[in-house]
Parts: sequence; structure tokens; C-alpha cells
Amino acid sequence: MSEIITARCACGWETTGPEADVVAATIEHGRRLHNMEATSEQVLPAAVRTDDGAEPRERDRAS
Amino acid sequence: MVRIADGLDVEGPVQGELFVVWLHGGRLELTGLCGAAPWLIELPAADHPVEAVARVVRANLGDPLLVHSTSRRRDRGAVILSFVVVIDPAAVGAMESVPISRAELARGGRAAAPREIGFEHVVEHGLRHTAWLAKDDPVVRAELPPGWHAALAAYVPEPFRSLG
Repeated sequence: MSEIITARCACGWETTGPEADVVAATIEHGRRLHNMEATSEQVLPAAVRTDDGAEPRERDRAS
Repeated sequence: MVRIADGLDVEGPVQGELFVVWLHGGRLELTGLCGAAPWLIELPAADHPVEAVARVVRANLGDPLLVHSTSRRRDRGAVILSFVVVIDPAAVGAMESVPISRAELARGGRAAAPREIGFEHVVEHGLRHTAWLAKDDPVVRAELPPGWHAALAAYVPEPFRSLG
């Protein structure tokens, strides 16, 4: 079973879920909101493992 | 504005700083997808800055009413190009929004940059420059929606400025 991780953007956006989903969502967020082309090599080292069984979710400061 | 230290962050030698502004009941307010705060984007060398800003705004908020660069400064190890982005009230939706307060401009010495530049100073100057454009640029004068000229009347018009 894929590990549940959380990745954050400096703008306040964050997403939690299986590793592959989080990487994809973070790269998409960076491209869509910040005109940046991030890679999984940049996303994964900054992501944190979520041990509390949190449900996959995405949260941004705008909501 | 608090940025998350360990989060993915905008990088590069030239970065765009967008201030998304709208008119709410006669008052100017700051909003945006990163909260009521500066919205940072990367500006790769292949991108024309204004076109990149317009494209990113269009992809996320729909067509802006106005996009204009207002100042530049050194910060975050980069050259920051600041933009005022005017949007229609209908585009605000559920985004966080706060009224924009007046601020003193950060001014430097005779041959030195200001010691500290907060984003409120950049916004203040951005709106002063928009006031300049509203008088000086016929396109801006025509594109600004009703109410904007009255809202900008209190701002002393300023040209594009290097803030430090």
C-alpha cells in the first residue's frame, strides 16, 4: 500500500494522499498557479509522511 | 505574509509578484489564489513577463481587466517584477479578500535603496502607478471599470519605480 504523505507549497497550499497522487498534484499546482516546472525529485524531499491515517485531501489558502 | 519554509517555492533569477485587486463597494481590496497576499510566479527566460502573468491569471481566474507592471526590486535572491492585476468582482468567488490600507512608500537614501520593503509598500506604489496610468494611458483609462477612477483619486500618481 502506498505511503500517505503531505506536500506543501510556500503559498499555503497543501495536499495529502498516496505518494504518486501527491507528487502529481503538487507538480500540477506549481505549473498552474506558479508557472513552475517542478519535478518529483524536488517534491519528495520536502514532503512529510503522514502517520495519522489522514484521508487524502487538498487544501489551499483561498478556501 | 507568512510563507511555509519547507514548502515548494518559486525560484529563478526573475520572479513575478502579482497583486490581484478588485473594487468592492468603492474600496480597493487585495485578493488572490494564495490568499489576500502577493502571488508569486516564476518567469523563465523564454517567457515575456506580462504575457506570462496574463496567461497564469487567465488560466486560474479568467480574463483580467488589466495587467500592468508597476515596480521592480531585489529580493529573495532574485529580481522581483511586481504587477497590479485588476479583476472583475465576479472572479473573486470564495477567495480571501482584504481592504487595502494606505501606506507610506519605502524610500531610500540619496544613493541607497530603502532598508526594508514590505508588500504593503509595493501595493501602495502599485496603486499610485495605476493612478498614473489612469491619467496617462488611454487604454488603461478606458479599461478601468466605473468606480476605479474615484477609488484611485486619492493616490498621488507615480511612474514605474525601482524600489531597491
